[in-house]
Amino acid sequence: MKNKRNFLIIGLALCFAIIFGMTTTVMAADTIRIGVASPFTGDLAGYGDNIKAGVSLKLKEINDAGGINGKKVELVWGDDLCAPKEAGTVASKFAADKSIVAVIGHLCSSATLAAMPIYVRAGMPTISPTSTNPTIGDVGKGWFFRNCYTDDFQGKYLAKEVVPKLLGKKKVAIFYENNDYAIGLKDSFVAGAKESGLEVTGAEAYVAKTTDFTPQLTKLLTAKPEAIFLCGYHPEGALIAGQARKLGFDGPLFGADGIDNADYIKIGGEATNNTYCTVPFLAESAGPAGQAFAKSFQETAGRDVDWMSANAYDCLGILADVIAKTGPDRKKIRDGLAAMNSEATGYKGVTGMTFFNEKGDCAKPAFVKMVKDGKFVPAQ
Amino acid sequence: MFLQQLVNGLIIGGIYAMIAVGYTMIYGVVQLINFAHGEIYMLGAFFAVTFISFLGLPFYVAFLLAMICCAICGMLLDVVAYRPLRNSPRLAALITAIGMSIFLQNLAMIIWGSRPKPFPHGAVPAYFEKTAVTFGGVNLSWFHLFIFGLTMAMMIGLNLIIKKTRWGKAMRAVAQNKTMAALAGINVNRVITYTFALAGALGGMAGILVSAYYNSLYPTMGYVAGVKAFAAAVLGGIGSVPGAMLGGVVLGVAEALGAGYLSSLYRDGISYAVMIIVIIFIPAGLFGKLIKETKKSM
Repeated sequence: MKNKRNFLIIGLALCFAIIFGMTTTVMAADTIRIGVASPFTGDLAGYGDNIKAGVSLKLKEINDAGGINGKKVELVWGDDLCAPKEAGTVASKFAADKSIVAVIGHLCSSATLAAMPIYVRAGMPTISPTSTNPTIGDVGKGWFFRNCYTDDFQGKYLAKEVVPKLLGKKKVAIFYENNDYAIGLKDSFVAGAKESGLEVTGAEAYVAKTTDFTPQLTKLLTAKPEAIFLCGYHPEGALIAGQARKLGFDGPLFGADGIDNADYIKIGGEATNNTYCTVPFLAESAGPAGQAFAKSFQETAGRDVDWMSANAYDCLGILADVIAKTGPDRKKIRDGLAAMNSEATGYKGVTGMTFFNEKGDCAKPAFVKMVKDGKFVPAQ
Repeated sequence: MFLQQLVNGLIIGGIYAMIAVGYTMIYGVVQLINFAHGEIYMLGAFFAVTFISFLGLPFYVAFLLAMICCAICGMLLDVVAYRPLRNSPRLAALITAIGMSIFLQNLAMIIWGSRPKPFPHGAVPAYFEKTAVTFGGVNLSWFHLFIFGLTMAMMIGLNLIIKKTRWGKAMRAVAQNKTMAALAGINVNRVITYTFALAGALGGMAGILVSAYYNSLYPTMGYVAGVKAFAAAVLGGIGSVPGAMLGGVVLGVAEALGAGYLSSLYRDGISYAVMIIVIIFIPAGLFGKLIKETKKSM
C-alpha cells in the first residue's frame, strides 16, 4: 500500500519534471531570456513599477522589430523587495536558470551588493539601472555594470551645486536611512560640504519601516538648519516631510534619486512641496531621442516618465545591442559590455551616452527636479 | 527640546500601551501570547481608511466602525484559530498565533496591495492640526490632546470594566482558574471571546490613530508595533493591565529620549535595552509582584 503510493508520487513528480523540462528547453531554443530584478511588491513597489514600465516599452520595440537576430526577447521578473536576503534568493534562481543570459538589476544598492557575489560565482553579467552605491564595482569583479552615476558624484553635486547655488542655503541637517545607499550618499555629501563650506548642523539616522520620526527631527531642528537632507527612499522621505512640517519646519527639503517617485507626493501630500532632488535623467533636459521616448512612455504607461524607467529602458537597449553582436552567451555578453569603454564604443540611448570604466561605472550628468504645487517639475 | 521629546514619547507610548493591554489581557485569560495582535492593529487602520475612502463616512463614524470590525476580527481569531486548540499544548496555540499573523498580513496585501498608503487627504477633522495649547515652547495640537484623551479614557475605562462590572469579575475568575469559573456557572469560552473582542477594539483604535497621525499605513505595519507592544507588556509584567499601560508609556518615552539624547541609530535598541535591564533586575516585570495578585484581582 505504502509502496504503491510512493510510486504514484514519484510518477507524478517525473511527469511534472518532464513537462517543465520540455517547456524551458523549447523556450530557450527560440527566445533570449533576460532576468529583471527589482522590488515589485512591498514598500518600494513604486520603484519596481517604473522599472517594469521602462523595460517593457523597450521589449515591445525590440520584439516588434523582429527581436535580436530573429530571436524574440523574453523577460523573467524577480521580486527582491529591495531586501538583501530576498535579493540573494532571486540571484540564485537567475544564476541556476541556464536559459537566462543576463540580468537587469538589482534596483536598491543593498540588494545589488548582496546579489553580486552570486552572479560573480555563476558568471552572470548584470547591468543595474539604479544602484548608485560606489562600492558595488569592487564586489562585482568585472561582472557588474551600471548606466547611472554613483553616489560619490551625486552626494558631492548636492553639496557643491544644489544646496549652495540653487537653494542658496548654508546650514543643513542630514536625516539618513541606515542602509548602504544612504550611508554612501551621506558620506559623499559630508565630504562635498567640507569643500563647499556648508555647515552640517546634525546627522541623524533612522531604520526602514519606521513611522515615527519626530524624536530625531526634534533633535535636528533644535540646531536650526535651513534645509533638511532626506537621505533615503521615498516612503520614509514622505513621512519625514509631513512630520517636519508639523514640527514647524518650512524651509526646503532635498534628496537624491531615491526621492523621485510619484508615491512620494501621493503619501506626503502638501508637505512635500518645496522638495528638491537630483536625478540622472530629466525628460525636459533630454535630447530629441529622450523627448520622443518621454512621449511614447506617456502614451503607453499613462504617466510622466521618470529617471528609473528611462535608465531601465536604456539597460535593455544596451543588452540588446551587445547580444546582437556577441550572441546569447553569458561570458561573451560580459566581454561585450566591458568592451564599451569609450565614447566611440558606447551606447547612445535616451539617457545620453553610456560607456563603462573598468569598474563598470559610468559618468552621467545630474539634473534637479523639485516638487511644486503637488507635481515634480524641473528645478533649473 | 526635552519637553518636545517628552510629548513625542508620550504619544507613541500611549499607542504602545493601547496595543500592550491587548497582549496582556489575552495572556491573562488564556496564557497565550497572541502574536496576531499586531495584525489586528494593522487591520484597524485599513478598515478605517476603507470606510472613509470607499463609503465616504466621516472620520468619527469610520473610527468607531473600524473599532467594531476589529473587535469582530478578534473574536473570529479566537473562535477559528485558538478555541479548537484550547486543551492542546501551549506551543501549538503559540505557533498558530504566529501563523495567523502571517496569514492576516498576506491577506491584507492581497486585498489592499503592499505599498504604503496615505491616510485619505482631508479625512481627519481640520481642527486636529490646529494648536490647542502651548507650554514651554511646545505646541500641542488637538490631535495630540485627542490621543492623550483616548489613552486616559482607555486606562480608566478598562480599570472600571475589570474591577466593577460583572463581566470584569468573570474575566478575573477565568484568569484565576478556568475549571472553578466554569463550575461557578461562568461561560468560560464566551468570556475569553469577549476578551479578544475588547483587545481587538483597543488594538484597532491604536492602528487608526497611528495611521491618521503619521499619515501612513501598510500591511506589515503591525509587525514592529506588535513587537514593541509585546516588549511593553513584558516590561510591565505580562498579565498585568496597569503594568502594560505603564510599560507602553515607559517604552515610548525611553525611545524618544534615547533617540534625542543618545544615538538615533540605536533608537529601537535603546528601548529594548530598557526592557532587558528592567527584566534583569525585576524578572517578572515592573508590576511583577502583582502578577499573582493581579491574577486574583484582574
